[in-house]
This record gives sequence, structure tokens and C-alpha cells, in this order.
Amino acid sequence: MTTIVITEVQEIKMKRLTIFLLLLSYGLSAQIEEGTITYNRKTDWISIMSKLPYISQEEVDRSTLTWGKEENKGTDLTLTFKDNKSVYTYSEEQTANEWGWRRNEILLIRDYAKKTIKDLRGEMGVTFLVEDELKRTKWKILNEIKEIEGYLCMKAETTDPIKGQTIHAWFTDGITFSGGPEGFGGLPGMILEIDINEGDAVITATKVNLEAPVEKLPIPKKMKGKKISRTELDNRIEKYIAESIEGNKNPFWRLRF
Amino acid sequence: MLAFRYILVLCLGFFLIQPTYAQTPTYQIDGVVEDTLGNSLIFATVLLLEKSDSTMVDFTRTEMDGSFRFKDVPRGNHIVKATYIGYLPLTIPVNAGQEKKINLGTVKMSEIASELMEVVIKAAKAPMKMRGDTIEYDASTFKVPEGSTVEDLLRRLPGIDIESDGSINADGKDVDEVTVDGKSFFGSDPKAATKNLPAEGISKVQVFDSKSEEEEITGSVGEAETKTMNLELKEDFKRGGFGKVVAGIGDVNRKELKGNYNKFNDKIQFSLVGVGNNTGRNGLSWDDYQDFMGSQSWNFGQGTDYGFGGRGRFYTFGGGGSGNSIEQSIQSLFFNSGQRGFPENYNSGINFNYDHKKTKVSSVYYFNQSNLSASTTTDEDKFFQSFTQNETSADSRDDKSQGHRVELSFEKELDSLHTIKVDLNGAFINENNIDAGTINLSRDANLTSTTDYQNRTNTSGYLLNGIAVFRKKFKKKGRNAGLNASYLTTELEDDWTQQSNIDFFENQMLADSLNTDQINNDLATKAVFKANALYVEPIGKKFFWQTFLNHRNTSEDGERVISDVVDNNEQVNDFLSRIYDNSIIYNRVGSLLRYSHKGLNISMGAAYQNFDLLGDFSSFVTGESLGTVDKNFSQYIPNVSLRYSINRNTNLSASYTRDANEPSIDDLQPIVDNLNPLFVREGNPELTPEVSDSYRLGLRKNFPLHDTRININLTYQLYDTQFSTEESVNEQLVTTYKPINIEGGSSASLWSNLSFPIKKNKLKVRANYSLRVNDRNALINGELNATQVISHSPSVKLDITPSDDFTIYLEGSYGLSDTEFDLRPSQNQKTENIGASIEINSKLFAGFYFNTNFSYEKYTNNRFNLTTTIPIWDSSIYKFFLEGNKLEVRLSLYDALNQNQGFNQSAFGISVRQSTTETLARYAMVSVAYNIRGIKSSVKKRGWW
Repeated sequence: MTTIVITEVQEIKMKRLTIFLLLLSYGLSAQIEEGTITYNRKTDWISIMSKLPYISQEEVDRSTLTWGKEENKGTDLTLTFKDNKSVYTYSEEQTANEWGWRRNEILLIRDYAKKTIKDLRGEMGVTFLVEDELKRTKWKILNEIKEIEGYLCMKAETTDPIKGQTIHAWFTDGITFSGGPEGFGGLPGMILEIDINEGDAVITATKVNLEAPVEKLPIPKKMKGKKISRTELDNRIEKYIAESIEGNKNPFWRLRF
Repeated sequence: MLAFRYILVLCLGFFLIQPTYAQTPTYQIDGVVEDTLGNSLIFATVLLLEKSDSTMVDFTRTEMDGSFRFKDVPRGNHIVKATYIGYLPLTIPVNAGQEKKINLGTVKMSEIASELMEVVIKAAKAPMKMRGDTIEYDASTFKVPEGSTVEDLLRRLPGIDIESDGSINADGKDVDEVTVDGKSFFGSDPKAATKNLPAEGISKVQVFDSKSEEEEITGSVGEAETKTMNLELKEDFKRGGFGKVVAGIGDVNRKELKGNYNKFNDKIQFSLVGVGNNTGRNGLSWDDYQDFMGSQSWNFGQGTDYGFGGRGRFYTFGGGGSGNSIEQSIQSLFFNSGQRGFPENYNSGINFNYDHKKTKVSSVYYFNQSNLSASTTTDEDKFFQSFTQNETSADSRDDKSQGHRVELSFEKELDSLHTIKVDLNGAFINENNIDAGTINLSRDANLTSTTDYQNRTNTSGYLLNGIAVFRKKFKKKGRNAGLNASYLTTELEDDWTQQSNIDFFENQMLADSLNTDQINNDLATKAVFKANALYVEPIGKKFFWQTFLNHRNTSEDGERVISDVVDNNEQVNDFLSRIYDNSIIYNRVGSLLRYSHKGLNISMGAAYQNFDLLGDFSSFVTGESLGTVDKNFSQYIPNVSLRYSINRNTNLSASYTRDANEPSIDDLQPIVDNLNPLFVREGNPELTPEVSDSYRLGLRKNFPLHDTRININLTYQLYDTQFSTEESVNEQLVTTYKPINIEGGSSASLWSNLSFPIKKNKLKVRANYSLRVNDRNALINGELNATQVISHSPSVKLDITPSDDFTIYLEGSYGLSDTEFDLRPSQNQKTENIGASIEINSKLFAGFYFNTNFSYEKYTNNRFNLTTTIPIWDSSIYKFFLEGNKLEVRLSLYDALNQNQGFNQSAFGISVRQSTTETLARYAMVSVAYNIRGIKSSVKKRGWW
């Protein structure tokens, strides 16, 4: 998001022109796009905590007071897409602050041609491998637009009844690939931002690279995890959330929000 | 043939069913998208939505001629929405009746005015809302000078005009209502909000026509005459604050008053805390500390004494707290409690934090006063090779202490690479103690001496401490450096009078008397200068090379003037009065290599350290030197550590290090101290540092799905040479101590715990087991005595939490300590501690709650056939009042059985000691608590594991 106003407008017009020219050269059927998009994911733990039913306003205030000034740099994740397939995982296995941490596994593969998913995800302390059909997300299209990384985006909304989330996606038809971060997709263009529960977790594109060709999708040879169907995983998550809340514990310490 | 038949049946079936539809099940929509000039818009996105809730049914792109088509659309009411970059999205309702095909014809899209486009881009984070051909924009980052009002902000927004009278006009329509966060503000005059609210608190400005819910969802057009403006407040501009006050009064003249209050916004945190009571319960909890300290509660975990540790983000809680009372931190004062006797405590503090962007300022003032009067009787036996010494004493003390403490901190991030931090602490204390009593010493049950004493002490002093820290990161990722320096100075003045009379007995006949009447004036000053440096260089992406330097110069000097009072005349005691001047210079340089990647952290390194001890004692009267110390010790310190997160649930850690501690200068001085004629202390110039090897192993495993945790820790410390004492007792039971080095000695410990639910959320078990084995050598009357203490302590807790209204917490613990004396096995002994407690919390009828806590403790010592049991029973009943349970009234009964005896029993070395302190026992109290934020009524405790 840049502050140079006029050039930005021109850039968008340029992009329009570029797309137009691309279409002319490839023809309409050749909507093949490939590239990488880096997203930054920020989670607002205080906001998540404040919505838990057993938390008092005093506890929320106390956490805001103590932790509210903490800087949140977020986590970088990358979506790589090519040939109707996308892979979403951590940007780089970096050693932060000279200390090697163990992170929850997250590797989401979407095949929009075969309509399949293959996910490796660390949830509730277990690494699960989910191989299933691609489920159609029911999106509502809203009447808002905003700009992300030079792309004009439209707003869409869906809900996750299991985690009790309202999810807003900002997608752009400037990138025709129907994918997005965190496994979301199925909109008429690339999702550049996901906003869960109005700021509890926000995943925003920070770098869009469509110029460099994608040699190969970063799919590891081996994906080791406990095999489970999506329905079964959803059931377990639902049960885990209910049990944690009953036991006055925040379930999202151990779940990808 | 069979297949053909099926197909035939299917076909027939199809034709048979067909007529039952009133219409075809699906239809087709066609259209062409053009701009206002009639040019086809190629590759525009066209969405097909449900009219009812905007759910997307399908989408497509326009062809080269701008045309689009949706085939096989299920019947229903739809919206076709065309979007194109730089154009206003267009929505067309499509209501399919009987038609098989609906042609929308040419759809004209109009370009967004470049001025408004600019708004979108400029106000990047603020989205623009579309409604037909009007735009509602949420403006956020429009720069206005500080102190501007919302009106000033509005003047900058395109499409909004402010009339000379302040009335607002948006897109040519009057704004007749201004809301703040969706709520009406100051009634009907919209100018009231815009003229008065500061612009810096506003995150979004939304202008919209009043509209129905359906219009909101579908975006369909409805004309409105006027507009409403909503001002959304910045999230972090919202303020918070909470506070509570508790007052109680009881019988036996017990009182308590406690209150805290705090207020914060995005920049400032302000808090007050105050406690006064004579119940011995400090009453301040961890939550109260957090409420008081705010964002300063936890320190960024990089200490200033750099060493072998990694620089991962570990939080540590507070700091300091060691050393003498003046060096205690505010934090350690906050939590002190549990005194025996009859204490009276007063604490009050004020904290102000400013924390905004790159600057953090914190200032705390804390006052504490504690008064304690206690009467203690002690019975101690010491078992020497040829005789037993018994000491009985009755002591009563009356202590009053006051302290004022200030902690100031300033931290600023100069730029993304450089940070400075400056801390200034100051303290002033004043303590008065009166201590009087009688000591009887016996040898094999024959009285040898009786001492009557009365000591009065006044201690006052101050502390000043300044720390400056500079942290630097380099452009190269992972390379960074730290530098810090600190200076601490304290001055303590002790004035005390010591009056005692010792009668020595021989064969139960008074043989001799020693009368002591002394006045003592001590003045001690201490200065500690520290400087530390750290540099970390990354080698590749996974290796780090870390180097550190530590320098510490401690100097202590002072004078001790002891005067004997003879016939009301003070005479300086030349033998005991002296001037001293000591310094210890410590230097360490170390380096290590660390591998850090994906949860595995291994480091190997070594340090070289040097102690230089200089001491000089001289006579106060003559100035003549009584002794000097000039010692230098060097040591290599290897260090290996491993921390491995095998996965997110399993952590393994292991480490080895060698430790070396220097002897204190006091212990090195070749001077005899016979201030107490019965306990003579001698220095030892031959002392060398205490050297040991330490090993640690830890394993932690969680099973989040099963709410189960396991934790095991092992430590082992083996001494090459350990500090110990040489103790000798003469016929008159005058004991002489001398610090010595002794070979050998070790300590080993195991600490483990396991927690798991028997029934999730209803019944949880937490089990602990710890084992300690200590071997320690000492010289007693010239003979080597090896003492081994083995102690086992298993414990089990049960949390029974069937509902939010009823809980039971059970706890059982057992402790066995087995002490073996090498020199005199007949004195071997076993002590047992058994503890059990039950706590019941329940909601009763009519909004009453009940809490009862019964604990039972039993001590046994097999050698002395001693058994003591202490049952303590506390109960309270309470009820909430006012909306949101803001008020609580509570009636409590403490120690209902009147059993609190302040009993303590210990065995160490060759001695066994029991003491009893008269302590506050049964009392009842009525208390009232008011909490601004309301009190949680759940009777469940919330714990981390």
C-alpha cells in the first residue's frame, strides 16, 4: 500500500492495459496465471480471548493492559500457484531471534482442476493429513471495494460454523486464479486478504509476484501426518472447542484460528 | 441389450417427469457489458448472485465483444453484478418467470471519478462501499495536524463540503445525523460531534443514506433525501479501567483494607494500589501485580549480565530481589507475606506508564511499612561426638520497618536497528528492631550457661542504581550486539545497643558471669559497577557465534565502631572496632557456537573467568592494619546445552556447566570475631573458590487432545570443593566457626509431575513426585562428618468440578526426610510430613455462596518421638449485590479450631531444632468488596495445568 497517489491510479490503469494485452496475445481461453503471493498473518489474541464466554471484562482489560502494547510482527506465508494448483505454507523456515522454534505444520494444497485438497495441518497437538474433495465455499458478495498491493479488491463473506467465525475475503479479478490463502478460494479472482471476525486474525498480501515464472510447486515428496477426512477433523475440532470452553481454557492456543 | 433398455427407461422417465414441471428447471441469462461511450468491456467479471442474500451462484468473464452468458441457472430471483477495474460495479436484478432465456441487453458501466479513485487508493486501509451509483467511503488515514477536530478532517474528504455555519453536505445532500460507533451523539445536532471530537480518535468516516436491511445486503438502490454520517472510533483509542476495594473488620481487633484502581488508554497506563491489614495476609495477588504494573509487568527476557543463554524471546518476571533488604525490588515486596506472629502491613504504590510507538516510560513509587511482634520459643539439640548440647530460648521481638522505593525506566527505539534503555532506581529504608529474651545452654542435660539479652537496632540507608543499555541490530539478519553499564551504590547505617548477661555454671553452680553493654555504630557503603558486552554473528542461516564480556567491580568499605558502656561512659572497644575496605573485581570472557533450527538448539562454549579479591582491615582506634587479603583466582568454565522441541508437544533439554564461586572477603580475613562471646567466628585466608559440575535433564510432554501433561526434571551437582565449616565446641560450650574448603559433597534432585483428567472438565488428577539427595561434609571438633539427607515428597491433587456452581479441591501430600550422620549414626532420624486439605466451593440458595477450606498437617520425627498435628479450618459465606455482581459481602471465620501455633521443625547437620511462635489464630471477619467491573461468580479456579 503506497502513499503515492497519482502514480498508483496510473499503475492500475497500466495493469488493466497489461491484462488486456495479455488477453490479446493468449486468447481468452489462455487464462493461465502463475506466481507467488506472500501474505502476513497477524493474530489478535486479546480480541480472540475477549470473545470466550467464560472471560470477564476485567480479565480482558487486564490482558489489554499487560499485553496490548506488544508489537505483533505476524507470520509470513506464501501462496504459490500454477496450472490450476496452489500450495500455501510458511514463507521460509527461518531462525527467528537466533532461536529455533517448532511451529504448527501448515501446508495446504489445492487442485482446482481435479477438485481435490491435500492438507498437512497441526491442530490440537497432532499433525493431520487431510486428503479430500474440494468443497465449494458459499460466498456472499458484498458491496465494498478497497486496494491491496495495487489491486482493487471486492469483498465477500462466508462463515465457519465450527469455529464460530465470520470470514471476510478481499478478492481481485485482476488475478484470475480462483485461489487464496488459508485454503480459501472459489471466488472470481485471487483473494488478497482474509479477515476473520473483524480483526481476530488478518491475513494480508504483502508481495504479489506474477512476473517470475514458477518452476515447480513447492510440494514436499513426503507428507507425513495422521490421515483423516475433513468431516472427521471438523468433528474433532468442534468437540475440542466445546470441551475447552467448558473447562475454561482457550481452545485457540492449539488450533489454527 | 440390457443397457439399451435402461437408457430407454430413463428416456421415457425423463419425458414422463418433464410435464410435471410448471416451467423448465433452469434458464439462461445473456448480456453485453459496455462503458458509457459504447465500447465493449472485455474480460469484465460478471457475477450471478442470489437476490435474497447475495450468495454467489456463478461467475464468468465477458468475451471479446463484451458479451457474457450464464447457462443452466436454477430458477429464482437473482442479481447480475458486473465489475471492471476503474468502473462502478453495476447490479441488475433478474427475476425469472417462465422464460427459458433472459437477455439483459447492453449493460452500461460508468467510470469511477478519478478523484474518488484517489480516495480509495489514498485511504488504502479504508474500503469504499458501493450502492448503486453512489459511493460510501470509509476514510481513515487523512493526515490532519494534531489537535484538529473532526470538522477539520471532513474538509479534506472529497465529496464532503462544510458550510460556513458548520453544517455538513455530502454528495450534495445534507447530513442530518452524526453517529459515533453507530450510536447517536448529542441528540439531533450533527455539528456537536464534528466540532468537538478530536480527529485523531477517528478511524473511519462513513456517509450513507438511511436504508433497510435488505438494501444493505443486496446493494439495490433506494433514494434518500438526507444522509447519515457515522464516525468510528479507533480501537486503541478506546479507554479501559477497573478497580476494586475491599474492607473488612473482625474480632480480636483484626482489620483489613485493600484497594486498587487503574485506568489506561492507548498511550497511558495509570494505577494505584493500597493495602493495610493486621491479618498477616498480604492479600495482593498476581493479578493485582499485573493491574499495577501494566505493560511493565513482564521484562523482555534479555538480562543485562550476558552469558551462555540464547537470546530467544523469553519473558522473565520482574528482577532483582536478592541481597539485603534495601536491594529488594518493588516486585518482591509486593508478594511478601506469610509472616508468623502478629504482623501489621501497609503498602501503597502509584504507577504511571507511557507507552507509545517507539517510546516507553515507566515510573513507580512504592511505600511499605511492616510491623511485626512475635514471641518464639526454641528448643535445639546439637549432637557432638562425646556430648549433646541443648539450647532453649524464649525470644520476643518487635520490628518496624519502612521503605520508600522509586523505579524509573525509559526506553526508546531510535530506529529499527537501535534501542536504548535507561533505568533509575532509588530506595530509602528505616528499620527498628527490639529483640529480647533468654537462652539456656546445657551439656548432657547439665546447665552450662544462661544468657539474658536485649538488643535494639536502628538501620537506615539508601540505594541508588542506574542502568544504561544499548542494543544494536545490524542490517545483516541475525547479527546483533548489546552493551550495558550499571552503577549501584548503597549506604547503610546501623546503630544498635546490645545488653546481655551471661551466667556460666559448673556442676550447677554459678561459676562466672559476663556482662556486656555495648553500643555499636556501623556504616557500610557498597558500590558495584558492571559493564557487559555481547556480540552475535550468524554463520549461515542456522549457526550463531556468540561472544560475551562481563566486568564487575564491587567495593565495600565501612567502619564498625563498638563501644563498651562502663558506668554510663562509652569507651571504644579497640579489639572489635575496625575499618575495612574490600574490593572484588570479576572479569569473564566467553564464546559459544549455537545451532538453531526447527526447534533444535544446541550450543557449546567456554568462558574464562578471573576473580581478584583485595581486602584491608585496620584498627579503628590506631589505624594499624589488622590484616590484608590479596587473592586471584582463575577458572575455565565449559558449557554445553541442548534444547529440542521434538514436536509441538514434546520438549527435551539437557545441559552441563561448571560453576565457580569466589569466597567472600569476610571469610578470607584472618580476624577473630567474638562479638557474641558464645559464638566465635574466625576468618580463613586459605579459602579457595567453590567449584562444582552441574548437569540438568528435562523432558516435557503434552497431549492437548487428552488434556494430559508430563514433566520430568533431573539435576545433579557434584562438588570438587565445597564451602563448609569447621566447628569446635569447648567445655563452656563456646562454639568457634571457621569457613573451610572441603572435598566432595553433592546434591541430586528429581522433580516430576503428571496431570490428566479422569473425566474431562469434571475430575482432574495432578500428581507430583520429587526426590532430593544431599551429601555434605563438615568438620566438627576436628572430625569429618558426612551428612546425607534423602527426602521424598509425593503429592496428589484432585480437582472435582461438576459445575460452575459446585467444586471440590482435594490435596494430599507426604514428605519423608531421612537424615544420616556419618559421625554418629545413633542420631540418624526420619521426619515425616503428612498434609491433607479439602476445599469446597458451592452456590447455595438465594444467591449465597459458600467456601470452606480444611487443611490438616502432621509432623513426625522418629528419633524424638515427636508428633505435631495442625488442623486449620477456614470458612466463609458470601453474597453478591448490585447489577453485574459489583458488590460482595462476606462473612469469614479463620482458623475455626484455633490451632495455628506457628510451629516449625528442622534438622540440619548435627542439630535438630523446633520452634513455636505465638501466631494469630481464630478470628472472624466481615468484609465488603466493591469491584467496578463486577465479580465473577463462578466457583471454578482457573489454572494453567
